[in-house]
Amino acid sequence: MTLIERLEAYLTRTHGQPATVTTLSRISGGASRETYKFDAEIGGEAKGYILRRDPPGSLIETDRRLEFLAIQSFRDKNVAAPEALALEMDGAELERPFFIMGRIEGGAPGSPFAADPYAPHGRAIGEQFFSIMGRIAGEPVEGLPILEVTDMPAPDQCWRRELDYWAGVIDEDELHPQPIVRAAIRKLRANPPPPAQKIAVVHGDYRSGNFLANGSGDIIAILDWEMAHLGDPLEDLGWATDPLWSLPGSPTISGTISLEDGIAAWERASGLKVDPKAFAWWRLFASVKGQAIWTSSAKEWRDGGFKEPILAFSGWYTARRQDQILAAHLAALEAL
Amino acid sequence: MTPTLPDIMTGFAVTLSTPLPPESGGDYMVGRMGMLTMLSMLASQEAERGTAARVWENRAIRAILGKAAATYDTPDGALAKAAREVDTDFTWSGLDAANAALRRQLIALHEKAETAGDRDLDRQIIALYGEMAHARRLEIAGG
Repeated sequence: MTLIERLEAYLTRTHGQPATVTTLSRISGGASRETYKFDAEIGGEAKGYILRRDPPGSLIETDRRLEFLAIQSFRDKNVAAPEALALEMDGAELERPFFIMGRIEGGAPGSPFAADPYAPHGRAIGEQFFSIMGRIAGEPVEGLPILEVTDMPAPDQCWRRELDYWAGVIDEDELHPQPIVRAAIRKLRANPPPPAQKIAVVHGDYRSGNFLANGSGDIIAILDWEMAHLGDPLEDLGWATDPLWSLPGSPTISGTISLEDGIAAWERASGLKVDPKAFAWWRLFASVKGQAIWTSSAKEWRDGGFKEPILAFSGWYTARRQDQILAAHLAALEAL
Repeated sequence: MTPTLPDIMTGFAVTLSTPLPPESGGDYMVGRMGMLTMLSMLASQEAERGTAARVWENRAIRAILGKAAATYDTPDGALAKAAREVDTDFTWSGLDAANAALRRQLIALHEKAETAGDRDLDRQIIALYGEMAHARRLEIAGG
């Protein structure tokens, strides 16, 4: 059976009426998931959807459920989360775990490699980018669906949990010694940040390229919630403002607004304050986390038989650039 | 280790010779081709600078190990011995194998400098990190 036939069988069974998939095409949506957009007619009503399916041999079922519940947590919370419609942990007719979201039309992600990806609406997009991140940070976590699959860290342990995890990823996946990121990890351990001012949902990959913007200066969807967890709300702010997501030497964050204006927008929306010492810690941490992800990408690319070019790009160009950013961070801290 | 140029070239061959199902045409295929184009541009930079960067980095690490040997060497004189070595195998795999051993010694030396509160050596090593990252840089047009 083709994927279209499997999808039609699933939709027909779950809706109790004939379903026809009229278009199906794979789109680039991260290397760890197969992402497809499709149109289906169910009971005479045509709609657009997104399918996210685990690749063959995947062992990341918990992540799939976590992503689904994270999206559900923020539906109707004024943070442009898509509509989470169906989750099948056993794969059902599609053989591998998947979930389906409503498709949001009329937007595109901006490229981190473009000089002015949101022109002429950079300022408006930047204000929304930081404000939505602030609203996620400010949202009380009690009662959110994501609590079903993630635990609540103590405020003074958020940093340690994240650093232990990502340093462990480097330990496991590193194929060549990396002195720069090792020095950064030691620096972070020796200088822990103050406790989190609140426990918040951390999107985990909140950055340029992971949201859809329309041509009128509006952010219409926040995507890629698969690394969501509970933790220090400054974690997302550090990740979103990592220099990796902006052109070298750019005075703005990802071609939008300045760091100072972004922090001000985040503070207004979240009701929280950015402690400079804590923020410096989370910015350096963001580069360590990035390097861990790129280290894994390189390993996955080799182990997977050199098939996915995006993994080669992440494990090569992005890793090299992240080393430059880490070295600059370390030099700046040394100069203090 | 970040992928080597031979890895990247192997990846081109694998990607271009692997058939995709019908639903992976269109935008997805265009995206893959765009990624291969970008990787080709980066590969040309690596072909030009990659060997020089490896040779330079190995020399630079040996120099700092040699300078620090008087204070931080191990009883078996490993730092001084590493500092005296020279590269003789100029294949990328040969240079990378030597580099891996040198980087391990550099990590250990940096830890010792931090523990000893040796700000001067710490500063020198961090400056070296900046130069190492710069020597291995890859650049995207406009980025």
